[in-house]
Amino acid sequence: MIAGDSITVSLGGRAILQSAYVDAVPGKITALVGRSGAGKTTLFEILVGRRRPDGGQVRWNGERVPRPSLVLLARRGLFYHPDRSWLALSLTTADHFALLGRSPDSDVLGITAWLNRRVGALSGGELRLTEMALGVALAPRVALLDEPFRGLDPHHRERVAAALRLMAERGTAVLYADHDVESVRRTADRLFSMEQGATRLVEGFRERPLSEWYHAWPM
Amino acid sequence: MDAERGRERAEVQKDVTGITVVWLRSRLFRSYLRRFLLLWIAGKIANAVTAYIVKLPPLAFRPGTELVVCAFEVAVLVAFIRRANEDILLGNLGLRLPVVLAPLVLLHLALSFALSLLA
Repeated sequence: MIAGDSITVSLGGRAILQSAYVDAVPGKITALVGRSGAGKTTLFEILVGRRRPDGGQVRWNGERVPRPSLVLLARRGLFYHPDRSWLALSLTTADHFALLGRSPDSDVLGITAWLNRRVGALSGGELRLTEMALGVALAPRVALLDEPFRGLDPHHRERVAAALRLMAERGTAVLYADHDVESVRRTADRLFSMEQGATRLVEGFRERPLSEWYHAWPM
Repeated sequence: MDAERGRERAEVQKDVTGITVVWLRSRLFRSYLRRFLLLWIAGKIANAVTAYIVKLPPLAFRPGTELVVCAFEVAVLVAFIRRANEDILLGNLGLRLPVVLAPLVLLHLALSFALSLLA
């Protein structure tokens, strides 16, 4: 659905991404796993056009996107969750759904409990669930989520994982970044590992011992 | 293939029109409107003081000056939007910043013109 192919980026003479490849498949949850600073966020920002690569291309349905932008891709069905909060703090959760022209179609994330509260007054976990619920309501073709589990307790992590599964069950190509390998093993159907700016698809990551494909990284 | 693309484009276009209408009725647009009005007042005061100092009619409508002040107001509002990461919210809605800001530019020109007639 969406793919970044041979993406190369250097900053200040240091190679951040070296011919990196990643893609997302409809109906599957694909994880991009790598330690902090590996280049995951940079790669996601390139996919949504918030950063220009030195080389490589972004493809949508196999076709090259000459100048990708979040607006352009959102109109084709992309939902993007960056590694920071992106909701308007002065609005309520209900206002955000109204802005989307949608209503929360199921309460799998439990957000109806704070539908009329200002987003700025929500806890970190509630805020993240609200962001995920908006993603589910958008029914995107592709969901690109940068560290959606970051800073969450196990209860909220499980709910976010449920949101990812719900999107995938409805046919969305889910691609998310994380650095928690054990969590990824429980949640993802496919896995790209990222090390020193390069990526590789790891087959059988659930069955294979961690040391076979994650040995070079600190735990 | 071309017919398929044409249908897709038509659907996107229909969506864009719908999104724009929803946007103009939204509370977020109203909050930008409030912030922009405060910026317009600040810009108008600065403009009037400068004009008074150089002995020009303080509230007269001078198109060149109005465009410069308006550009400054828009730049400040865009900085607020980006700082709050709301450009990502707008992006997820498929809304380009020019679409978001165009009504505010028109508002600036209309208010400044009306004020010059009243002065």
